[in-house]
Amino acid sequence: MIELSNVVKKFGDLTAVNGVSLSIPRGEFFAILGPNAAGKTTTIKILTGLIRPTSGTASVASFDVQQHPLEARKSMAYVPDFPFLYDKLTAAEFLRFTGQLFQMTSSQIEAESRELIDRFDLHPYLRKPIEGLSHGTKQRVAIVSALMHRPKAFILDEPMVGLDPHHARTLKDVLKERSRTGMTVFISTHQLSVAEEMADRIGIMHRGRIIAIGTRDELRRQSGVDGALEQAYLALTADAPQEPQVAQ
Amino acid sequence: MIESIPSPLRVLVSSNLLQSLRRLRSVGENSRLLTGVIVAFILGYAWFSYFLFYQSLRFVQRFPGLDTLLTERLLYLLFAFLFILLLFSNLIISYTNLFRNKETIFLLSLPIRRETIFLWKLLESTALASWAFLFLIAPLLIAFGRTNQAQWHFYVFTIVLIALFIVLPSAFGAFAAVTLARFMDRRSFQIALVGCAIVGLFAARWWLQPETLTDEMLETRVIEILDRMLAKTKFSQFPLLPSYWLSASVLNYAEGAFRNSAFFALVLLSNALFFGFLALSSMGRNFYEASSAVHSRGSILARWKFGRKAQTRDLTPLAPSYFESLLTLLPFLRPDRRALILKDIRVFWRDTTQWGQTLVIFGLLGVYIINLRHFSHQITNQFWVDLVSYLNLGACSLNLATLTTRFVYPQFSLEGKRVWIIGMAPLGLVRVILTKYFLSTTASLAITLALVWGSCYMLQLPWERTIYFSYAVIIMTLALNGLAIGLGVLYPNFKEDNPSKIVSGFGGTFCLVLSFLYILACVCALAFGAPWARAGTQPLHILLTAWTIFAVLSVLIGWMPLKIALGQVRRIEL
Repeated sequence: MIELSNVVKKFGDLTAVNGVSLSIPRGEFFAILGPNAAGKTTTIKILTGLIRPTSGTASVASFDVQQHPLEARKSMAYVPDFPFLYDKLTAAEFLRFTGQLFQMTSSQIEAESRELIDRFDLHPYLRKPIEGLSHGTKQRVAIVSALMHRPKAFILDEPMVGLDPHHARTLKDVLKERSRTGMTVFISTHQLSVAEEMADRIGIMHRGRIIAIGTRDELRRQSGVDGALEQAYLALTADAPQEPQVAQ
Repeated sequence: MIESIPSPLRVLVSSNLLQSLRRLRSVGENSRLLTGVIVAFILGYAWFSYFLFYQSLRFVQRFPGLDTLLTERLLYLLFAFLFILLLFSNLIISYTNLFRNKETIFLLSLPIRRETIFLWKLLESTALASWAFLFLIAPLLIAFGRTNQAQWHFYVFTIVLIALFIVLPSAFGAFAAVTLARFMDRRSFQIALVGCAIVGLFAARWWLQPETLTDEMLETRVIEILDRMLAKTKFSQFPLLPSYWLSASVLNYAEGAFRNSAFFALVLLSNALFFGFLALSSMGRNFYEASSAVHSRGSILARWKFGRKAQTRDLTPLAPSYFESLLTLLPFLRPDRRALILKDIRVFWRDTTQWGQTLVIFGLLGVYIINLRHFSHQITNQFWVDLVSYLNLGACSLNLATLTTRFVYPQFSLEGKRVWIIGMAPLGLVRVILTKYFLSTTASLAITLALVWGSCYMLQLPWERTIYFSYAVIIMTLALNGLAIGLGVLYPNFKEDNPSKIVSGFGGTFCLVLSFLYILACVCALAFGAPWARAGTQPLHILLTAWTIFAVLSVLIGWMPLKIALGQVRRIEL
């Protein structure tokens, strides 16, 4: 469902993503972990087509995101850590707006959003302007708007930021249910507990490369440390502090 | 029944229109005073500019044999300059809208064609860049129509022409923005912009060389002299300039030469269609390439060895920059205040779209003042020298008012989300405000004093008048900065990150209107209060009254808001 093939991204003299290859099948819940500036967000930006890779290819639902951007984006949804919302629209208007951009009819929008609105407790906020909502509520609106068109792949960058424990649980449940019905989830997070609890496979990114990939048990084996995911993660990423790679 | 799905462009336009309408409505609901001020200002401006244009055109018509020539040339010139300004305005707004806008990034992640996103952003940028142009020329065209006793259809035809005209700078501006974004990073763009400004200044100075005219020539061969004087403005009649097609069509229509007018209108139409189509059909892909480059580019300097060296130096942990070392030479600046000043200067310098506009405004004023010497050579009447010197003071102050409103007023609000840093620091918010006031006043004074001294020198004014104008501009700079900082604290907007949006609120509008009224009142008071007014026979009590009015107004407008703001800051709850 999600394929990255030898993806390289250079920012001038800095190599942010260095030959990343990854294959995530349909229905898998994949979590990517890594220290700050490891290249996670850049990988996500390449995957969503926001930036062009220096070399390599990225595809979603068998569509190359550069060659067939519309088809690829129709199959996916993306929620960044601080999603953009139209401040002066109400939550309901924003849901309708995104639904229409995904070519959904009014009845489809209504039918698909109803359950999500209930589960994320958005009813009291539907008629309120987004500018007056809290960060967590805005995050919930963004998540519902992204899930409404039933994407085949859902890409999230730090989705739990701002969510209270109750709605964080709801999001985890919804993601797990959707993943069981075939939606691929690609989540970037610093919350190791989320990855440990939810992910089928975990990738650890460091200095632009995926240095380890596998299930929790496989990662423990690769790290040579027996214990919680935290120990494995710290062992795998424990080396000299990162320094910019200046091209020579 | 089959449900229809609206096109993405329609969804985008309708949602954004709805947002804009709500913004307008909320302004009206939140503050009737603001609505009143804005409406009064718009109507007042429209009426006043119409009155000025109408009187000017009537004045020009009084010159037998010259009226047509002068009117035509004025129109050609005006549209040529407006075309250049529109081009620049479209370039800056398109760049910000296409590459620095959160909505664009959001839309790029949705299944919308890049061409559609580009088209939507182009429409938005055109509207943002062109409304002021329409606002400016509407009174002129009405005045022109009235002085030529034009029929009603003249106005309808002109509206169509203007609509076609604004397509061209919009397409060119967007094309330039995409090309610049694709190939230049911030630093190289800044260097190029400053380089262009310097070249432009020298080019303008060279272009406007003085004409040597004898008194005999002035008296006997008026048309020839006028033609020589206007020769420098002939560029505005360059046949490939879009403003030429617009002006020619408007002028011919007003004269009843409909066939000629239609010809130029069709030239305008064909170009608008061609470049409009080009922008809509082939720029989408380039836009994506440029957007990808903007969001993933490292410094262009890293391509060369010296650039990499410079970067390595920058990476030296916490080493002070050259500029910081320079600031340490000012012994009266405490380290915490120096840090704040350094931060403000860096933030301003790194936002090219912000200071680029200032560069244009004051650059144009600078070119004008440099060329005053040619003007003064031909003016022997003291009345005109006096008038021009006051007009220069007014122009300089008005530019300063736009500068303080645009850049100084939002300073406190911009600290909003970062107020935990400065608010928690032992420096204290009062000192923060005073430091910002000190910085903005010093920077403003450097510009305004240079312009006023330049103006006095070029007009060959005696030294006592230079001191008089310098004193006036110092007081006005202090007052205008005090007003902007003060109102910025009294009407903060901590939710907004975009300074132009902060300025468009009540406080910003109020600041601009008050500044303009203050300048108008002060320039009048200074004119009446000049010791040389009425050939030095102005009674003492009038001089004293004028100076008192100037001083009281400056205290009320500058010192009072700052004082109240400092009081408010002491009580502020973060």
